[in-house]
Amino acid sequence: MTSRFGKAMLLAAVVATLLFLLAPILVLILSAFDSGNVFRFPPRVLSFRWFETALNHSEYRSSLWISTVLGLISTVIAVGLASLAAFGLVRGKPSYRLAMEVLLLAPLTLPLVVWAIALLSIYAQLGINGTLPGLILAHVTITMPFATRIMIAAFDEIDPNLEAAAKSLGASPWQVVRRITLPLARPGLLSSMAIAFLVSFNDVVVTTLIAGAGWITFPVRTFSRLRTEGIDPTTIAIGAMIVAFTILVIVLGQRLFQLSRRF
Amino acid sequence: MKQTPDIKPIATALLVAPAAILMFGVFVLPFLFLVVLSFWSQVPGSLGLDPTFTLANYARIISDSYYLGGLWTTLWLSGLVTLLCLVLALPLARWIVLHAKRTKGLLIGLCILPLVCGALLPTLGLVNLLSPLGFINGALKSMGLIKTSLPLLGNIAGVSIGLIQAFLPLMILPLISTNERIPHDYEKAAMSLGATRLVAWRRVLLPLMLPGIVAGSLLVFCASLTAFVTPQILGQGKVVTFASLAYQQAAMVLDWPFASALGMVMLLFLALAGILGALVSRGLGRSS
Repeated sequence: MTSRFGKAMLLAAVVATLLFLLAPILVLILSAFDSGNVFRFPPRVLSFRWFETALNHSEYRSSLWISTVLGLISTVIAVGLASLAAFGLVRGKPSYRLAMEVLLLAPLTLPLVVWAIALLSIYAQLGINGTLPGLILAHVTITMPFATRIMIAAFDEIDPNLEAAAKSLGASPWQVVRRITLPLARPGLLSSMAIAFLVSFNDVVVTTLIAGAGWITFPVRTFSRLRTEGIDPTTIAIGAMIVAFTILVIVLGQRLFQLSRRF
Repeated sequence: MKQTPDIKPIATALLVAPAAILMFGVFVLPFLFLVVLSFWSQVPGSLGLDPTFTLANYARIISDSYYLGGLWTTLWLSGLVTLLCLVLALPLARWIVLHAKRTKGLLIGLCILPLVCGALLPTLGLVNLLSPLGFINGALKSMGLIKTSLPLLGNIAGVSIGLIQAFLPLMILPLISTNERIPHDYEKAAMSLGATRLVAWRRVLLPLMLPGIVAGSLLVFCASLTAFVTPQILGQGKVVTFASLAYQQAAMVLDWPFASALGMVMLLFLALAGILGALVSRGLGRSS
């Protein structure tokens, strides 16, 4: 009896915690379908008008566009560099592997806001403050550690004997990589691309310091207008779309390649 | 034991070099520059830097009660957030490991959602939930529990709620991975030997979970100490945290040497927290 009561209490605590964790995200999504002129919850009248406004509004569109392009470019560079490095560390087994992992994963543990302050002053001295290359460089730096961690785990899982076997059967090194290693590493590659893109797309901390006036991403735009304009329903509609997209990526990633195990 | 590499050392070096150079140049160098910069000063009224050695930035932090107050608020707020995250995450992590069978991966996926959504969007949802006319106050009022709205925005309560929501995953993930290493029947075994559930947790499970507890606490504490988006939005400018002070100096006042000194103080406290965590883990290793 007490044990059953204990179990029920535990389950209640678990459900309450999950609800607390996800409530703000649910609120954001549900409110977006409200027709009201202010951000309110619970929604009262179902409507898609704020989605239409969001998609027709050129200023919102351009900030979303900037976020997407920046996210895509940074993801490709970060996952590319991370995969090369992870492959080198796993297959080359150098004596400096541990030290190199500490270096490559450093942004996961050190405070990005402090780093961004330093980067901002360096960029200002170099005159690349507020430029796209500077911004891409910063985003590659914050997304690469996530990709590196996933790719190291992915290559560690691949049996090197498979590559050796292909080689002994006469495959060239390039054929081994293309026909054996890459297909086996695909779940890891897709996971790191998904995570890297989401991290870049949703970043506020670093971008708001580095971006300058020319390259205002959607999160930065929302953050900087919050004081003056508050939260308008259009922002909520776009926020809801981004969150829905994020959930979709995570659920799909979970289904297809067990994303959460790799995070 | 030296393992035999599958590729040549030179190939390894070439593969690793681009990432390593980028990380060193764009991530490590700025931190080194930060150390130097914190001992410089800003030429008044310009963006120029004066590279003569000075302790003025640090003296200003120590002597000004505004900055000391911000530091103190941030430290105890981070401690509180860490503690509450631990209390919430312990049962959740244990439950996911023991009872969530097929939904486990999906649940972990949901738990990392606040991390990959970034700090901003969930916080917008929270603003709505916590505001004087928001959902929580409305629900409490309609149930007749309160007459006037509880102040949940622009104060420590709101900022703590936001930080807990944002950083709870950082506590859940390490706790799940340590819990996975504890055999499932330990709790039952302890209870069959006469321990109550409370005693079983205190004497058997918690000691085994301690590595995860230390790791998760460090992550949450450090993240809270340096957070500025959540405190900025939910504190509505009334709760001054250390990271938002540094952000203001860097982005608005444009006094980079002073912002660097504020950053150095944050790094100092992160290092202290890390040392404390290492000591706790080592003390555990010795006692067991």
